Amino acid sequence: MKKKMVSALLLTSMLASMFSGCGKAQASGGAVNEDGIKEFTAFFAVPGSEINDDNEIQQIIAEKTGCKVKETWLTGQTAEEAVGTLIAGGEYPDFIEGGNGSKQLYEAGALVALDDYIDKYPNIKEYFTEQEWDQLRQSDGHIYWIPQFSNIYGQERACTHNDEAFWIQARVLEWAGYPKVETMDEYFDLIEAYNEANPTMADGTTTNIPYTILCDDWRYFCLENAPEFLDGYPNDGSCIVDPDTLKVIDYNTTDTAVKYFKKLNEEYKKGIVDPESFTQTYDEYIAKISSGRVLGMIDQWWDFAYTGEDAIKSAGLDEQGCQYVPLPITIEKGMKNQWHNSGGVLNVSSGLAITTSCKDVEGALQFVNDLLDQDIHDLRFWGVEGEDYLVGDDGLYYRTPEMRKQAADTAYKAAHTCSYSYFPQYSGTSRDGKNAMKSDGQEQEFFDGLSEPIKKCFEAYGAKTYVEMLGTSEKPGPWYPMYTYSNTLTTDTPGGTAWTKMGEIKHQYLPKVVMADDFEKGWDEYMKAYNECKPEDFISEMQTELERRMEEAAKYE
Amino acid sequence: MKTKAINMVDLKRQKVLIFWAAAITIYGIIFNYLPLAGWLMAFQNYKPVTGLLHSQFVGLAKFKLLFSDVSFLRVIRNTLAMGVINLAVTFFMAILFAILLNEMASKGGKKVVQTISYLPHFLSWIIVTGILHDALSGTGIINTLLLHFGAVTQPINFFAHEKYFWPIVAFANVWKETGWNAIIYLAAITSIDPSLYEAAAIDGAGRWAKIKHVTLPGIKPTIMILLLMNVGNVLNAGFEIQYLLGNGLVQNVSQTIDIYVLKWGISQGDYSIGTAAGIFKSVVAIVLIVICNHLAKKHGEERLF
Repeated sequence: MKKKMVSALLLTSMLASMFSGCGKAQASGGAVNEDGIKEFTAFFAVPGSEINDDNEIQQIIAEKTGCKVKETWLTGQTAEEAVGTLIAGGEYPDFIEGGNGSKQLYEAGALVALDDYIDKYPNIKEYFTEQEWDQLRQSDGHIYWIPQFSNIYGQERACTHNDEAFWIQARVLEWAGYPKVETMDEYFDLIEAYNEANPTMADGTTTNIPYTILCDDWRYFCLENAPEFLDGYPNDGSCIVDPDTLKVIDYNTTDTAVKYFKKLNEEYKKGIVDPESFTQTYDEYIAKISSGRVLGMIDQWWDFAYTGEDAIKSAGLDEQGCQYVPLPITIEKGMKNQWHNSGGVLNVSSGLAITTSCKDVEGALQFVNDLLDQDIHDLRFWGVEGEDYLVGDDGLYYRTPEMRKQAADTAYKAAHTCSYSYFPQYSGTSRDGKNAMKSDGQEQEFFDGLSEPIKKCFEAYGAKTYVEMLGTSEKPGPWYPMYTYSNTLTTDTPGGTAWTKMGEIKHQYLPKVVMADDFEKGWDEYMKAYNECKPEDFISEMQTELERRMEEAAKYE
Repeated sequence: MKTKAINMVDLKRQKVLIFWAAAITIYGIIFNYLPLAGWLMAFQNYKPVTGLLHSQFVGLAKFKLLFSDVSFLRVIRNTLAMGVINLAVTFFMAILFAILLNEMASKGGKKVVQTISYLPHFLSWIIVTGILHDALSGTGIINTLLLHFGAVTQPINFFAHEKYFWPIVAFANVWKETGWNAIIYLAAITSIDPSLYEAAAIDGAGRWAKIKHVTLPGIKPTIMILLLMNVGNVLNAGFEIQYLLGNGLVQNVSQTIDIYVLKWGISQGDYSIGTAAGIFKSVVAIVLIVICNHLAKKHGEERLF
């Protein structure tokens, strides 16, 4: 009997363990709730924070448009994993942004072709030019998704540098008397000197982290793609394009790449590079940034600003100069840098799509259309007049210091703000011709909102905005940016397979190279493993795409 | 033992058992046998848009691709290594722990220790790995202690070196599961006839001799059955812990078959190759169980079938 008990127990526990893994089906549809509001669901394959169910602005928008969308975000997975799981299950939310998994959604037949609908919705129609809409067509000639970002209405109003850069804390620059910093050597010399003179933060006990590198999963761009910028090229992301010869260049193997990683290796040995760089998770990284201990790093503004910088502000560390400013660094002195490019970037590789599970496609698109109305757009990105911003006599929107403070407060954001941040949106100038579409583009408001150390820093460098710290360039050509193509590569093609393998090898070897006792040996091992991935397959597919894009663009000239 | 024909009275008396057996059989069919139809995918170039019925059949091409992939061979090695290490350590620790616990004189103390020790079982891996990540970080408790006692001069970066990864995984498994696994052995120990201990004591056996000659032989059938069942699980060396603790630097030793399936099957959308890897895993598990069962039978030990 006893033996039977044991085996029965085992059997039960075994069966119980098999239960795990069954996903739950997602409710879908645009059903109308008791208040007469249509409810849609959306999944965005990027990390984000959910807002409260009774969010105030979401409710106002629902009353005005008759629609409400329950948004969910990526947690603890990669975009491809989340999308792959959805495809395997075969049920989708109404709206989806698949990120790097968009191509898979398209191939699985999960998305609704939008071309026939676009003409019926004036705001959506207006959102792109014919040429841009055509660029979005997939291999079957249809349009499936609407990229949401970097669409500029009217005149561009960029104050923040929303991209990648070498960032440094304002306190370091202030201590050194705002020197000119143009090369990696100068950058690290400055950090070293500061850290030696001030090994701790203002409290005298918390030690600084001179330089850290985020290396978690897809965010390892903080380590790997600097060589393209250091050579003065813009963010094509996965390769360099020579604008004169129109040839694709692999930035992983250039002399600049060797110099860059050698420098990191030296700094690692000196103890300047955070030894936990390559093992820290994104959350741990943000916690470090938030504490104000990190003097400098490479990152994209959007990757740390809304979490790390906001936390620095909330903790009052902004007045100690713990906020970051970008520096125009190149491999040699006097080179033109393209860390910042003006104009919008049409990222054709992903966007907001509507799935075949959505029962009310027209209702869903009507909502997207309504979100682009100026009054709704203002609600999304400025808030409620009188509560979140005031209107001056000249018609310009502005905020009081209290309003700015609450706008950075996490709890307030969850309860009050609803920007539908992964739905189509504009930056640039509002339809009234005066205000900026988003508060961060309003020059006076932007400047008034800066902390003292940042203001002083800007003044010292003769800059008014983050962008002016770097200078700006036009986009280099009609192909730009190439990453919108490499993002869609799958292992179905040799180039895509090479791209996946290159990513794996770089994830493994770049940290090793930086930590190597003998850099030359480490680099040789890396190059050996790297060349086995057949990067030439990848480069040749990129070259083909580059030529295709140039031909497409020529049609519109 | 004589077998006699089943009559209605027996059936009636065992109706609860029969009900449960039927329920579990139906469950098994629905959740364990019907999904096997999905194995078809491994022999197709499966695309979600064409589905199982209209995808192109490619024979064993996906298996060939799988076994010509160096990284698949590497994940097999990792899975086997971590599986065997985990099995050996957790198995040994659980028995040791159960016996030690049984030797405790104080009833209350025993209860407290037992409860505390099996609590980690109910924590999810994300929490356990979070704790590990903190404890083993440069400023974590382990490095602080090592520095304090002068065992090292620089904090050890535990997650940056391949050599530490398997031991960390094994340790985490032991910490999480020892208390839980010990429950079954404790149950087995309590059902040993006390008169055996008395007889042993009269024969002059001390504590050690009692453990060796009464306790261990008493729980031997349980040990054998559990060992057999766990051997089949060797390739289930884990997914969460390696997925959560791994990083680019240690990917050569950290990735298991499950992670490989996730990466190629789900992320890269090649469901066929994912299924092929899954089939391989099941086949190995069945072979291992049959071999062990056979060995057990040969030595006249307790066995599964």
